[in-house]
Amino acid sequence: MSTTEILERGYRRYDGPRLGVWAAMRSVIRFTVQRCLGIHRPARTKVFPILVIVLAYVPTAVYVGVVVLGNRLQKGGVVPGRAMAQQFVPTYAALYLSVTLAIVVFAAFVAPEVLCPDRRTGMLGLYLASPLDRWTYLAAKAMAVLMITCAVTVGPGVILLIGYSTQGVGPHGFAAWAATFGRIVGAGLGVAMLDTAVALAISSITSRKAAASATFIALFVGVSGLLGLLVLQGQASNRWGLLNLSTLPYELVFRVFGEPSGIVLNAETEVPASLIYAACLAWVSASIAVVAWRYRRMDVTK
Amino acid sequence: MTKRFGTTTVLHEASFDIEPGVTGLLGPNGAGKTTLMSMMLGLHRADSGHLEVLGLDPLRSGPEVRARIGYAPEHHLLPPDLPAVDYVRHLAEIHGLPPAEAASRASDALWWVALGEERFRALGTLSTGQRQRVKLAAALAPGPSLLLLDEPTDGLDPSQRDSMLDLIRRVGRDVGIDVIVSSHLLDEVERTCDRVVVLDGGKVVASGALADLRGNERGLRLTVDGDATALADALVHRGLAVTVERGRLDVSSTSLDTDDLHRLVRDELAISGVGVRELRPMVRSLSDIVLGRPA
Repeated sequence: MSTTEILERGYRRYDGPRLGVWAAMRSVIRFTVQRCLGIHRPARTKVFPILVIVLAYVPTAVYVGVVVLGNRLQKGGVVPGRAMAQQFVPTYAALYLSVTLAIVVFAAFVAPEVLCPDRRTGMLGLYLASPLDRWTYLAAKAMAVLMITCAVTVGPGVILLIGYSTQGVGPHGFAAWAATFGRIVGAGLGVAMLDTAVALAISSITSRKAAASATFIALFVGVSGLLGLLVLQGQASNRWGLLNLSTLPYELVFRVFGEPSGIVLNAETEVPASLIYAACLAWVSASIAVVAWRYRRMDVTK
Repeated sequence: MTKRFGTTTVLHEASFDIEPGVTGLLGPNGAGKTTLMSMMLGLHRADSGHLEVLGLDPLRSGPEVRARIGYAPEHHLLPPDLPAVDYVRHLAEIHGLPPAEAASRASDALWWVALGEERFRALGTLSTGQRQRVKLAAALAPGPSLLLLDEPTDGLDPSQRDSMLDLIRRVGRDVGIDVIVSSHLLDEVERTCDRVVVLDGGKVVASGALADLRGNERGLRLTVDGDATALADALVHRGLAVTVERGRLDVSSTSLDTDDLHRLVRDELAISGVGVRELRPMVRSLSDIVLGRPA
């Protein structure tokens, strides 16, 4: 029997290549996405993201299921199943109304999880003691939130498109299919950017996750609800709806798909699509400005 | 360099060079140690003056400088539910190491700080001493040329403190990485460092090699058996400065070099027939230097 024992592994100096800022950003994105989804973390941290993702995809699964069922009934020749199914299933744009809750809840909890603990624990100081600076750090964090949020803004639409297409109720021809796919991705990305930017701006103001999440939800439900009510009751112009964060993203989606929204900003002639796009851009820009202002002079080494 | 935050001057015309080795940044709380480290990382701009780290300006070449610096901050709570190895690996990756290399070095660094067996444990389950060692491992894993350790013994008990100081000494002497370690404790710096920069109120009150600052060639301390007073008189007669306290003599000279001083004391000891129980160089402690006291 060998009696050899390793007493110390020693320390190796590193003289190899260093991959630079982009690699550091990729690492931050991967690490952040894993943290938010509860990967390499205790089981309790996986519950919330799984629940929200399920919440986002269940409507899609139900709609695809309805189409599949309609097709089977049609094949049996008993009832006009396909026509019946189409009474229940939404358009691609209208799908977003079914996943609103998942998107808002996800954005409300993901962005604070991404930014707040780094400031509270001092991890931010360690990030900025690496090749990253404030702006590359924030860009990586924003990318991570955007990617995660896209899982609930783009994913369900893409699954719905694939489901409809396999059941013969999708767009006809490759060009139409590609255009629909492009609209789904564009609209989902737009919603994700809007929600991400606002949630990050709120998260940059407080280092308390709960406070940031509560503020985000209050902004959506409280302020936006009040604005929506005023517009609906005719006490305010439809254009005030541009400040309504709970309806603006879906106006954006409906305008991208060229469909009448049927929600608050339904007066398409009064509020043209260009104004909706400009409002979204203004929200995103203002949110970026808030984040930049907060991080510009933040002392990170105390 | 001078650095102000509003009306508060944190560093006032601080000027020094830091040579390779282990250097202590010594000063009371609020002396400007952390600010100085932040400036070395390019996180703060000096209001006047110029700073060069590893031959580069940290403001102009921030990413290049920071890629080569390992930093362990003082006030830093580690993410409690993250395994130690994931944390160290992530910090190695953001310092530019390829993922496979970062993973391997993260494990190695944790073994090196004697946390190999605990590397998969969540950070929140580790003791204060272990967490401080994780911070050291995280600073070491990227293979830095320079290590900045801000109060690395903060919150440690005496035994954990000894262990941490030993690790820091080994980083500097065995591994060969240059280290700057900030502390407000004199004995810590004295035990660990080759060099020191002493800050007080944002000013550099002393800097250089500890051996030079101590002036350890200035004299000899003897403890004798026999007539110490007669020996002292004889040494004074030969032109030396002598103080006597019971059986202990402190002998110094401003004109003789070390060898001549040793020879002269040896000769007088032989002539007087006084027995020697102890003979050692007179050394100024760091507290003597800071307080401006002679040895």
